[in-house]
Amino acid sequence: MPTELDLERIVSELYSPLYRFAFALSRNESQASDLTQETFLILAKQQAQVRDITKIKSWLFTTLRREFLRGLRSQSTHPEVELKPEHQDQLVADSGVLKASDAATVLEALAGVDESYRIVLELFYLADLSYKEIAASLDIPIGTVMSRLSRGKEQLRTLLTKTAPPDKIIPRSN
Amino acid sequence: MNSDAAKEVLSAYRSGDRDGADPFFHEALKQMESDSELKKWFDEQHDLDRAIREKLASIEPPPDLQAKILARIRGEKVRRFALPQVWLAAAACLLVGGIAWFYSAQKQGPDRFQEFKTDALAMVSAEGGPVLDLWTSNITETQSYLREHQAPYDEWLPNRLKSMETAGCRAFVWKDYPASLTCFRLPDGMLLHLVVIHREAMGNANIPVGMKSMGDWHLMFQQKDGMLMMWATQAPMEQLKQIVVKIAVKPRLGKA
Repeated sequence: MPTELDLERIVSELYSPLYRFAFALSRNESQASDLTQETFLILAKQQAQVRDITKIKSWLFTTLRREFLRGLRSQSTHPEVELKPEHQDQLVADSGVLKASDAATVLEALAGVDESYRIVLELFYLADLSYKEIAASLDIPIGTVMSRLSRGKEQLRTLLTKTAPPDKIIPRSN
Repeated sequence: MNSDAAKEVLSAYRSGDRDGADPFFHEALKQMESDSELKKWFDEQHDLDRAIREKLASIEPPPDLQAKILARIRGEKVRRFALPQVWLAAAACLLVGGIAWFYSAQKQGPDRFQEFKTDALAMVSAEGGPVLDLWTSNITETQSYLREHQAPYDEWLPNRLKSMETAGCRAFVWKDYPASLTCFRLPDGMLLHLVVIHREAMGNANIPVGMKSMGDWHLMFQQKDGMLMMWATQAPMEQLKQIVVKIAVKPRLGKA
């Protein structure tokens, strides 16, 4: 008989990073809240099917990303309400959720990274997943995770150098 | 392992005790001892990773998000507990065709209404919740969306609903008539669904008034300004009454 998950503890530990991940994907506070709620609700509904509780964290991030992509596909049939992340810089600028402007700078730079690298970086920085968890989450080989992380970080560093004062985010070289 | 290969491996390294014990990184980490350029690169990368994580951690979730999540999870637990009864009741009603249900309404061309009720209930009681076009907590956004998509909707909602969050909405067509679904989140995490369609879509069928129960679902039908509105929820019937029956005095409906 499957063990009932301690959902309250899981929510308490993971709702913040999950929300940040959702916000990085959607760039919209309301949508990020909805995505976070929906993701935990799916866990509550499907908890009997979650066999390995050590993988709940990566399961949650994977599920949230899948829900986000599903929402994008749904919105694409209604252009009037389409909200693609790359078109939402204004939302980021206007949102009160970013208390530190540097976070907005990082998100803006992340949005500029090639998509195939960006999701790996988001799972690395926002979900704090290991290379193995990222590989499992995206269903790609570990070697691909390594190369995408390496190249993605290079792109991110370049973009941050352009958009942020060097002493704000980029560590000094000497 | 050359320096470039070591850098690629170390790009995936997370500081602290998270990856320190992973043998996958041992060779690259050991190589830093004899490669000062690699060590310098690693230190800079490590500082950049830390700085980025710190900046991103400053994004704070809404203060009530955790409570909302927990409320919805508790609502789901209640729903799951009651689910077998719901499905048994729904299956029974679907199989029997709802003949006994709203029997009095069937004397004059009840088929259209019966079909609508069955279809609408099947839509809102779909496993995992109804399919929505737009997810939003903002009622104004749902109304704008429905207006833009020429779907009928309740422009003058009961006062108690105006302050509630929505889950979202959907514009759809039933038997060539535009219709809409709006889902509200009740304070206990349950959903309240409002389906709106033109009255003429029902033909000559009598529309029953008052509240009805169907398994765990509580339904209520209203007619206003040429529109038929169906309310459906699994929340207690008393709660539905409190919200819908004691409504605003000036109901009016947007045109399709």
